[in-house]
Amino acid sequence: MIRNINLIAIRINRQFLRDRRFLVLSLVVPLLLMLLIKYVFESLPGLARLNVRISDYSILFAAYLVHFLAYILSTIVLVRDRVTGTLARMFVYGYRRREIVLGYIAGYTTIAGVQTALVLVLTSYLFDINLAPDIAAIVLTVLALAIVSVGLGVFISNFARNEGQVIPFIPMVVLPSALISGIAIPIDDLPTALQWCSYLIPLRYAVEILRGVVLQGESFFGQLLPFIVLVGTGVVLLASASLTLRERE
Amino acid sequence: MTVDSLEKTIEIEDLYKSYGAIRALNGTNLTVAPAQVFGLLGPNGSGKTTLIKAICGILKPDRGNIRVFGLEAGHDRYAVRKRLGYMPQTPSLYDDLSPAENLRFFGGGFHLPDLQERLREVLEFVQLWNRRDDPLYTFSGGMRQRISLACALLHDPELLILDEPTAGVDPALRQDFWEHFTELRNRGRTIFLSTNQMDEAQRCDRIAVVMGGKMLVNETPGTIRGRGKTRVTLELEDGQRIEEVADYESALPRLLAEYGLGSQVKRISLKRQSLEEVILDLIADPQAKERQTR
Repeated sequence: MIRNINLIAIRINRQFLRDRRFLVLSLVVPLLLMLLIKYVFESLPGLARLNVRISDYSILFAAYLVHFLAYILSTIVLVRDRVTGTLARMFVYGYRRREIVLGYIAGYTTIAGVQTALVLVLTSYLFDINLAPDIAAIVLTVLALAIVSVGLGVFISNFARNEGQVIPFIPMVVLPSALISGIAIPIDDLPTALQWCSYLIPLRYAVEILRGVVLQGESFFGQLLPFIVLVGTGVVLLASASLTLRERE
Repeated sequence: MTVDSLEKTIEIEDLYKSYGAIRALNGTNLTVAPAQVFGLLGPNGSGKTTLIKAICGILKPDRGNIRVFGLEAGHDRYAVRKRLGYMPQTPSLYDDLSPAENLRFFGGGFHLPDLQERLREVLEFVQLWNRRDDPLYTFSGGMRQRISLACALLHDPELLILDEPTAGVDPALRQDFWEHFTELRNRGRTIFLSTNQMDEAQRCDRIAVVMGGKMLVNETPGTIRGRGKTRVTLELEDGQRIEEVADYESALPRLLAEYGLGSQVKRISLKRQSLEEVILDLIADPQAKERQTR
């Protein structure tokens, strides 16, 4: 089983390295987005008057970027596998459902890991914040979030017959994550109903951990509960993804 | 597993599958004996691919049974798949990867101990060994089809399921493919292939004609051809007489008796229907019946 998971992960990464345009896009897009965030928000005079420091938000934006890039990437690629018939061929050639799901997680987490590293370096450079003291907690949290994102992508891909049908599923995850995860608006300021809804947003837990550790200087162990929930969400998504991955049409 | 089922590589009983209002399989029955080249013939949309996917266990029929090597194709699919090679209708390979990488990936799922050797053998067979490291997106449609076949042959399976293997392959290579199929059959392998090229039917040991998800015949090409009609043309002094007969050997004496064998009969010519024509008639017949009942 481990061997097959490994074969899938290697295959995904090999394809990723082979596709130059895709490679450049997935590494340049985060850079451009971080720059955009920096310059747009720094130019807003209102933020300074309200005593908001954009650098406080940068690490949360970084997590958001990794979340949605990993989610979209894995959804589209798995749907493409289904459309081109390579998924069916994998099944006939002895790969099992759980191996495929875990192989995708392993493959995309590697890609998401590279993106995370890039985004974190950018964050600390562009916003001039020192992430070094909390780097272990940050990496752990963002990687857990990346696994959740890929799990979500694999799960969602079951409901799309082609790449076009993936599109409506993108805002369904991306917008609520931006609005009610606590990145931009503190969850306590949301109406009660939305506060409840926010428990369904995986990004909420990552934001909670990062806010506590990086911005409020708390210890990672103080954030163990949201971390367990984040990892638990990952496990639930992985289980549902491997149970719902259609092997037989 | 019964002794009876051991003698059959594939057994299909009363198989149904619908896609919405469209019935792809409509009570299909079929048996395939081992060590044969078995051809599944039928026009587009007759249910060939649906049937092939069901045999490989990647399609769930609405009802009915499929047994492969005496095992249940759905429930025991993991055991069945180890022993079968599948070539889908579209190449279904990774375009960014080379043939060698594709084959290593798919072959990897079976944990073949001699993967590297087999890789060379199958790529040499499809005559693409020298291009093993080029990315697949630089290959033509026919070349991808060859890689797809190489992939199906990789683990030297007992049963090869090939969905239109020769579509888009040039005539010389098609000849090679067929020689290889025959050679595999002689080594005891079973080849189950679909085709809509009627000239290939002649090369199969047995053919089944599928139409509207139902099997019309399952016989040897010779028997099917024997069902064909013969057009007897008698050229007489005062004109021509043409008659189509099912069994010309017994019809001929009757026809000739009418004229004796006098000098008024100038010429007798016989034209038997080709296998292709017989099959096309078979396919046209249920269509005609369907039109009449509407």
